[in-house]
Order: sequence, then C-alpha cells, then structure tokens
Amino acid sequence: MPAAWILLPLGLGTALVGSVGGLGGAILLVPLLVVLGVDPRLAAPLGIMSVAAGSLAAAPRQLGDGLVHQRLGVLLEIPASAGAIVGALVGNVIDADVLARLLGIVAIGAAFAGATRKGMRNLPSPTFGAEPAGEWPGTLGGSYHLGDEVVPYSARRVPAGLGAMIGAGIISGLAGIGGGFVKTPVMSELMHVPVKVAAATTTFTVGITAAAGLAVFSSQGRVDTHAGAAVVVGSLAGGLLGARVQSRLHPQAARWVISGLLVGIGVLLLVTAR
Amino acid sequence: MTAPVPSPLAGRQRRLVVALQVVFAVAVAASIGALVLPGRAGDVAGGVMVAVLVGAPALRIGWLVQRWLRRGDRRFAAAAIALLGVLVVAVVT
Repeated sequence: MPAAWILLPLGLGTALVGSVGGLGGAILLVPLLVVLGVDPRLAAPLGIMSVAAGSLAAAPRQLGDGLVHQRLGVLLEIPASAGAIVGALVGNVIDADVLARLLGIVAIGAAFAGATRKGMRNLPSPTFGAEPAGEWPGTLGGSYHLGDEVVPYSARRVPAGLGAMIGAGIISGLAGIGGGFVKTPVMSELMHVPVKVAAATTTFTVGITAAAGLAVFSSQGRVDTHAGAAVVVGSLAGGLLGARVQSRLHPQAARWVISGLLVGIGVLLLVTAR
Repeated sequence: MTAPVPSPLAGRQRRLVVALQVVFAVAVAASIGALVLPGRAGDVAGGVMVAVLVGAPALRIGWLVQRWLRRGDRRFAAAAIALLGVLVVAVVT
C-alpha cells in the first residue's frame, strides 16, 4: 500500500475533480492506485471511501447554494440502485475488458454530446427574480442563481431518464463504480437539467451509492482504515474545494470541464482494457 | 414554465446544512485520528470514520422523509422510503 503522503493528495485530487464534475472520482482513483501497485480488491474500497467523503464534504456548500435537487436525486437513485443490484448479481457474465471498452466509448460519447451543444438551454428569467435558489416543493423543477440572475428549470423526459438510470445502475453494479460519469450527462443532456444542478445532484446520489458499497466492503473486512483515513482526509478537503470551484463556474465552463474529464476517463478506460 | 406559489421556506434547508457541517467536522476529526493515532485509538477512530461515511447519506434521506411528510409532499417521501428500502436490499444482497 502506498504511503499516506501519496494517498492523501490522490484522494484530494480525485474528490476535487469528482465534486466539480459530479463524476464521483473512484473511476479515476482506483486505476491510479492499481498502477501504483495496490491490489484491485483493496483499491475498490478506497475508491468508494473517496466518493463518500467527497460527497459529504461538498454537500453543505452545494445545498446552501441551492444547486442540489434532492427530490430528483432520490427519484433517480431508486432505479440506479436497483440496476446496480442487478449488475452486481450478473457481474460475471460480461468480460471486464469488454465492459471497460464499452464504458470508455459511453464516456467519450457523453463528452461529445455535452461539448458540441451550443448555448444554454435554461436561461435566466426576471419572472423568477424573487425565488430563493433551490428545488420547488412537490415538483422536479427549481431554480438556481447565476450571478445576480435566477435560472428556472424543470426536468424533462423523466421516464427516459428513469430508464437511463437503470442502465447507469447496471453499469455501476457491473464495474463496481458509482456511475457519476453516466448519471451527470443523463441528467444534463437527456433530462435538460442545468449542468451545475446535474453535477451537484449526482454528487449527492453517488454518496448514497458509495455508502451502501462501503457498508458491504466493511462487513467483508476489506476496509484498510489507516490507508482509507489518508484517502478520506484528502477527499474531504477535495470535496470542499471542488464545491467552491463548482459554485463559481459558469455553466458553459462547467460543461467544458465535465466534457474534458469524461474524455480523460474514456481514454483511461480504453487504454487500461487489454 | 409555471412555478408553484413561492414559499418563504422553499430552498432553505439551514438545519440540514448545519447538521451536514457537524457530520463533516466529525468525519475530519475521525479520519485524522485514524491516520495519526497509534494502536487501538486509531482503530476506534477508523471505525467512527467508516460509520460516519456510511451513516451520513442514510441520515440525510431520513431527514428528507420527515421534512417532506411534514410538508405534505407524500409522493417524494414515499420515493425516499423506497430508496432506503432498495439500499437495504443492496447491502443485504
């Protein structure tokens, strides 16, 4: 196992990236740990701990900024979690390298979809000027602040989004990852949720998935708390910083950052598949 | 697009934000303790750290259930309860 002074900055960097882009971060951390010689069976729990810690650290800031749509997150997490159970149960039927290639192509495709879109779908509206930022009770709509303006939004294509989340969940269960790199593009590109809201909401939901995974790993005795503590200290700091960076990013910039990260993840997956 | 009648409480979840900040502080203390404390004390701190990371999302969803029930938002309260049920199945499976 690498020393704490190596694990801590790795946790910081991946959690920062994860909470800015709503991508989790385990998908970056686990391959890096494996490259450093960590047994994949020990690297996976460290990745999950990083995601859980990053999600916890980012939560107060993102909630306070009104960027998290908890109703949407809870609703979408039900099919995603159910899909993850199915994926975990049938995990052996798909070759790991085939799966990695498939995920790589999905990530690059999602990056392309986000990067090639011009302009903003959800525009500021003076009608909603008095609205506090946040979700509207009883609905899948809400508003967030963009500078001094208020941007209203409403999730579209909800049935398609729920279906896509089953797919994202199955991928999560098959690959043992949080699936944030699928969930954020589904919310922003398919359901037309603003990219910053999608990223913050996914950061909330991947924390739920990670907590369930961590409970399983812990019951199996696969959690190295000393190495995990180094990753968690770094990830708590990274999640905090990531939430600050994300709240200051313009939606267009956030979309470019997420697309760049998705390309990086996609290439990493394609390269690591034998 | 039409918004529901603006509620002065909409979007304000100050108590949840404060609770999450407290949980965050406990997680920081426990993880630093697990990193630097030797022997049994370090193990205990590590156990607390894992418990906090596992428990925080469940607490948050539980808080949302009671908030949404109190406000008559039964559909989403039911969804949150269903999610907790799916997570229990996931952990047990």
